[in-house]
Amino acid sequence: MFNCITPPFILNKLLDSSDATIRGAAMDTLITTARLRGQREVRGLIAGALVSPAAGRRSVFDCANSTFLPFAKLMRSEDDGPVADKSVNQAFEGLGVTRAFYRDVFQRDSIDGHGMRLQGFVHRGRRYNNAFWDGQQMVFGDGDGKVFADFTGSLDVIAHELGHGVTEHTANLEYRFQPGALNESLSDVAGSMVKQWHLGQTADKADWLIGSDIFTPKIEADALRSMKAPGTAFNNDLFGEDPQPDHMDRYVELPDTDEGDNGGVHINSGIPNKAFYLVAIGIGGNSWEAPGHIWYESLRASTSTTNFQQFADTTFSKAGELYGASSPQQQAVRAAWDEVGIRVGSEPTLSRR
Amino acid sequence: MRVSLTTHGGLAAPINSRRPPRTLDTDRMPAATAGQLRRLVAAVLAEGGGGRPDRGRDAMTYTITIDDDGRAATVTGSDTSMSAAFGALLSLIERQTD
Repeated sequence: MFNCITPPFILNKLLDSSDATIRGAAMDTLITTARLRGQREVRGLIAGALVSPAAGRRSVFDCANSTFLPFAKLMRSEDDGPVADKSVNQAFEGLGVTRAFYRDVFQRDSIDGHGMRLQGFVHRGRRYNNAFWDGQQMVFGDGDGKVFADFTGSLDVIAHELGHGVTEHTANLEYRFQPGALNESLSDVAGSMVKQWHLGQTADKADWLIGSDIFTPKIEADALRSMKAPGTAFNNDLFGEDPQPDHMDRYVELPDTDEGDNGGVHINSGIPNKAFYLVAIGIGGNSWEAPGHIWYESLRASTSTTNFQQFADTTFSKAGELYGASSPQQQAVRAAWDEVGIRVGSEPTLSRR
Repeated sequence: MRVSLTTHGGLAAPINSRRPPRTLDTDRMPAATAGQLRRLVAAVLAEGGGGRPDRGRDAMTYTITIDDDGRAATVTGSDTSMSAAFGALLSLIERQTD
């Protein structure tokens, strides 16, 4: 077996370099390193780097209720006008807004930073109550029409899924325990920033809800999650009360199983979600300006195993680098994490994974 | 034979996990559908199981429990990695329990 001297995470960073020579050398190393060949994360990087001329071109496919994506039919691509199918158009527009957000706000060219194609699959399955990122593309269900409506109807859900792609191509946070909850939170942060940017809303005017459009009107629920007030997005007889915590004191210990949501990745994300909301309110103005830049640079500086404490520390140091030590922005970051029970710069007091 | 399906994960993971399982009983369904269910269960069991599936971000996972005259088996699949047979069994259970 060959051994690769350069750790994969360094190659990963080099692939993000703005210098084409450095990117090329990193690519060569990846391709010739037998040890890495076939690994999912490396396949993704290579696939992304090879399609660089695509400039994030969009393609939206109709699964026609199948769950097998290769059978899906291409319905609308980048240069096409609107088609008859509303879901196709909603996915197309949502991907376009999210692509423009990353380009204009973070100067990021698509999911991988190198113009990776954006592929959306709609009408997946029959009455399917979900949307997901499978490592290559975004997939949307129609909802059952009883509880859930069409998932393409929510811009923050589309941006949430595309955000998973961005995370996979940067820190690649593993999908369990705290790194997994952070992965989920970063997608919610992306979803809310894209929605606010699209609406031209300042942090204090925004609803900070994720998935407010995905329930049918009959269902008594505001949204899937609330970043402003985790734990309050829903409370009804059909599916109970929103279980998200808003403070480390209420962190929910769950096993790394399917039943345990991989250690509560969609549950404990409430804690960093609330921290981002507090930073945005503390700094004031638009969430995608200083708060968004601090979070985005911290994502790029994170690794697959970054936990809440480490991420909080990174946001504090990035705020210092970007806006100055003891700047109002850096103070807002410290205060926000404090309010959710995480003291920046301190050793983790709890041995939580 | 009784077959039950629980669904976990997904964008709405906390909600999905709280919804009741979907259950089918071959004694309480038309013979043709019961036969189809038995054939699909046999096909999925013949594939064997193995390990936890790939963790697609926000992908749902499905646990199907089969109880046939005291003999029990559990098979799992996910949105990002399921066999054709598993997908066919899943959609039959979903259709029959809607």
